[in-house]
Amino acid sequence: MSRSAAPDPTRMQHLLWVIACLAMAAAPHLPGVPLWIILFTASSAAWRLTVESLRWRLPPTWLRSLIAISAMLGVFVTYRTLNGLEAGSAFLVVMGGMKLLETHSRRDLTVVLFVACFLLFATFLYNQSLLRLPYMLGSVWLFALTLLRIHQREPMPVREALRGTGRMLMQAIPVAVLLFLFFPRLPGQFWAMPARSKATSGLSGDMSPGDVSELSLSDEIAFRVKFTDGPPRPEQRYWRGPVLHDFDGVTWRMAKVGYLERGVTALGPSYEYRIVLQPHQRNWVFALDAVTRWPSTTRRNFDYQLLANEPIATLSSFKLTSSPVYRVDGDLPRALELTTLRLPPQRNSRSLALARQLRAASGSDVDFIRAVLAKFRNEKYYYTLEPPRLQLDSVDDFMFNTRRGFCEHFASAFTVLARAAGIPARVVTGYQGGEINPMTGYIVVRQSDAHAWSEVWLPPQGWVRVDPTAAVAPERVERGRQGTLIDNEPATRRLFGELHALLQLRRTWDAVNTFWNDQVVSFSQAQQQSILERLGLQDTDWRALGIALILSLAGFFTALSLWLAWRFRPHNDDAVARAYQRLCRKLARRDLERAAHEGPNDYLQRVAAQQPQLGAAVGEIRELYIGLRYGPNPQNTQLRRLKIAVRQLRV
Amino acid sequence: MRRLRSKPRSRASPGRRTRFTSRVLDWLRLRTRTWARRRHGVDPDPIVLSGRRIYIVPSRLGLTYALMLFAMFMGAMNYANNLALGLTFLLGSLGLVAMHYCQRNLAGVRVASAACEPVFAGQQASFRIALENAAPLPRHELTIGNDHGSAAPVGVAAASRSVLEIKMPAPRRGYLTLDQFEILTRYPFGMFRAWAHLNLQVRCIVYPKPSDSRIPPPPLETDTGGPQDHARGDEDFAGLRGFHPGDSPRHIAWKAYAREQGLHVKVYAGTAVTSHLFDWNRLEGLDIEERLSQLCRWIEDAHAAGHAFGLRLPNNEVPPNIGPAHRERCLTALALFNLESANPESANPGSANADAAPASRKSA
Repeated sequence: MSRSAAPDPTRMQHLLWVIACLAMAAAPHLPGVPLWIILFTASSAAWRLTVESLRWRLPPTWLRSLIAISAMLGVFVTYRTLNGLEAGSAFLVVMGGMKLLETHSRRDLTVVLFVACFLLFATFLYNQSLLRLPYMLGSVWLFALTLLRIHQREPMPVREALRGTGRMLMQAIPVAVLLFLFFPRLPGQFWAMPARSKATSGLSGDMSPGDVSELSLSDEIAFRVKFTDGPPRPEQRYWRGPVLHDFDGVTWRMAKVGYLERGVTALGPSYEYRIVLQPHQRNWVFALDAVTRWPSTTRRNFDYQLLANEPIATLSSFKLTSSPVYRVDGDLPRALELTTLRLPPQRNSRSLALARQLRAASGSDVDFIRAVLAKFRNEKYYYTLEPPRLQLDSVDDFMFNTRRGFCEHFASAFTVLARAAGIPARVVTGYQGGEINPMTGYIVVRQSDAHAWSEVWLPPQGWVRVDPTAAVAPERVERGRQGTLIDNEPATRRLFGELHALLQLRRTWDAVNTFWNDQVVSFSQAQQQSILERLGLQDTDWRALGIALILSLAGFFTALSLWLAWRFRPHNDDAVARAYQRLCRKLARRDLERAAHEGPNDYLQRVAAQQPQLGAAVGEIRELYIGLRYGPNPQNTQLRRLKIAVRQLRV
Repeated sequence: MRRLRSKPRSRASPGRRTRFTSRVLDWLRLRTRTWARRRHGVDPDPIVLSGRRIYIVPSRLGLTYALMLFAMFMGAMNYANNLALGLTFLLGSLGLVAMHYCQRNLAGVRVASAACEPVFAGQQASFRIALENAAPLPRHELTIGNDHGSAAPVGVAAASRSVLEIKMPAPRRGYLTLDQFEILTRYPFGMFRAWAHLNLQVRCIVYPKPSDSRIPPPPLETDTGGPQDHARGDEDFAGLRGFHPGDSPRHIAWKAYAREQGLHVKVYAGTAVTSHLFDWNRLEGLDIEERLSQLCRWIEDAHAAGHAFGLRLPNNEVPPNIGPAHRERCLTALALFNLESANPESANPGSANADAAPASRKSA
């Protein structure tokens, strides 16, 4: 029963098309899907193709069930759930593979296609970047092509099928755009967006400077910021992320408990801005330090980090106000003071001794801080993106031995020294800098702008930011990492100079992406309203929207229908006959209808007899027609003359 | 009312649907067909399918597709994910565009009946239907079907035609009328099914079923009573046989040719002609259908053996002759025996009941 009775040459092709669709839809998921699932689905496809080409039997039902159950269990074990976006899409990939193993009818093939559709759908939940749009169009084209082919008994040439489905797709696009623009949107969500388990931020929430010295050099954009009236100076652009309080000698971690909150008072100008965050699956909002006004969808932590209520799983934007210069109200809570002074016992003893010695030599805490920064600046400490690994006592190893590191190393060392000197201190991670794109006015902050700095508690102001990296590589802070690398490596600078055009290209690309994010990805009810207002429709509710939508769709489809009818109109290839028919119609309007029995000769002679004033013209037409039809050597000029004569005939 | 109706469609995959839904669907199908038949009456032959003849509904695949789109729509709306929403809208509008292509693929097709070979009762009659495409674009995946199955889908190239065959059981002798069938297409994606009910009243002659009984045929008789002589001669006309290249043109039966019975050659026998005479009145003790059936058997046997034969019915007599045209004439006489004068509509075994005639005929 499972064996195909008659080998069907088109079936192999159908399978290949469907597998191509599945592969196209699954490809964007591959980086996030475990290897065994990819292998499972790929080998299912290979097995199915082998079965088809060698005309084996399909695997029996019990074996298929066994495979299905174990694959499902595998997904469950891998993800500990079948719910959620990642497990869900992994499950879909597995399902596509399983379904392939039992395809013998067209219906089974369409089921695989539908699985592929859902997979494609799921990719947009992860990522809505601009490049996904052509991918979507290409995939839908492939789907349409496949659907067409598996429903054809007589396969048409691929080129014709491509053209046909391409045309349909082109006609579907305006309809989709209309729907997109005018379909009534709902303001809220029914259920929350499942976050991915894997965070994609350049920041991790903890920091181990001695560890594998990897650093996010990715040029991926972390967020974009637009200031209402001009941005703050570059050295003030510190975007606050997780604040790390606990240090165990190797790793800095966020505080596990909350502390009493102290407000801040702005001492300088306030900046109003909108921040548009790329999804990174954490609820960190990288507000400019320190945020003073924030929407209700976010809250400010005791350490002044701004947290969204939900993980940022989609492109999200917030309207915030910050003051780069500020003062903390009140004193340091006792519990927090203890935390920010705590050091792991019996670790980094040389550094502790150094700190105590420096503190003793300095008149005040501020002097001590200056002394430490001067040490970093004047002695041979180097800023590098590829520092050596550190020993267990990482601060000692860094301070006295390797002396090379990037922001994390300096921030960690500085904080440890400050704590040892009895100054409450902590590490702040986040981003620093950002590049202004003059085309959009947005400041673009990339993953490579990730940074770490220190904060120390100095009584009158409260928490004061100290960036030890700035002591070593001040340009890192003023111009961002790009600048640092340029100055350190002349070759790169030259390259960049030559590649000014490339920079321009990058900015343009960013501008296009910003437009995409603002106008398409975050298209909402509000933008819908503004479009309608621009169209002159005030105060529209969803009913009016629905009616307008239905009317415009009806208009479009009427046009499509007419166009199709026109394309399918019966066609007469015979130009001579067409001209003659036109003549007959013209004469019929003057009650000179051709009788059924009359040939052209008789008819036109009768016309000439009844309407002598037409005699000459009709006589010429008659001659031309007979010459074209029965003459020995019909000429194109005759045909042209016939057409003109018929057109010019005045009846 | 029509007997065919109670029969569930063999095409519908059995066991997939429950009996109930299957019944509901059959009932719905029947209602629409009856309604369409009342609305359109008997169609002219040939007919060009106009837009108003064509019905279109989503197929099961289309409904599943819609369901999938709905799920995607809910997801995209919920997550306010505009790209996912865009995909949903794109797929949805692709379906709607495909619907128009599906309808247009059928509209404007010219349907005409083509020749239908006579069959014996109990066999399947094949009606041949020509689909003509006058458009400058090809049409794809057109098929015709009725309750007894459907033809394999074919494409019709621009300005050309394809001939499809549709089967219908011929249970009884007489005229078998293909009084309804549908022309349908699922092009391009199988998501929609566009179809038109057609009633071209295509007729096919059904001969009586040859009897299985072994009643011997009446012996060969000679017309003149002289000795049997198979030798060829040129004295008496003995009948016709099919033309072979090389036959003398003088012997061609031009009259038969003029009657469009094909090209035959007159055969002359020597002194005498032998033939069977199959006589209705000889078959006493049998009822009408049995007699016809027996006569049919004899005619087939005699034709196969190449013997000349004549047929005598109560109201009709066919003089002895040979050849396929003669056989056809005799068998047709048997098929239409006692039906000739009757209204072909009610003689149609496929719609024997009184209410089968269309209630209202629209002028074409």
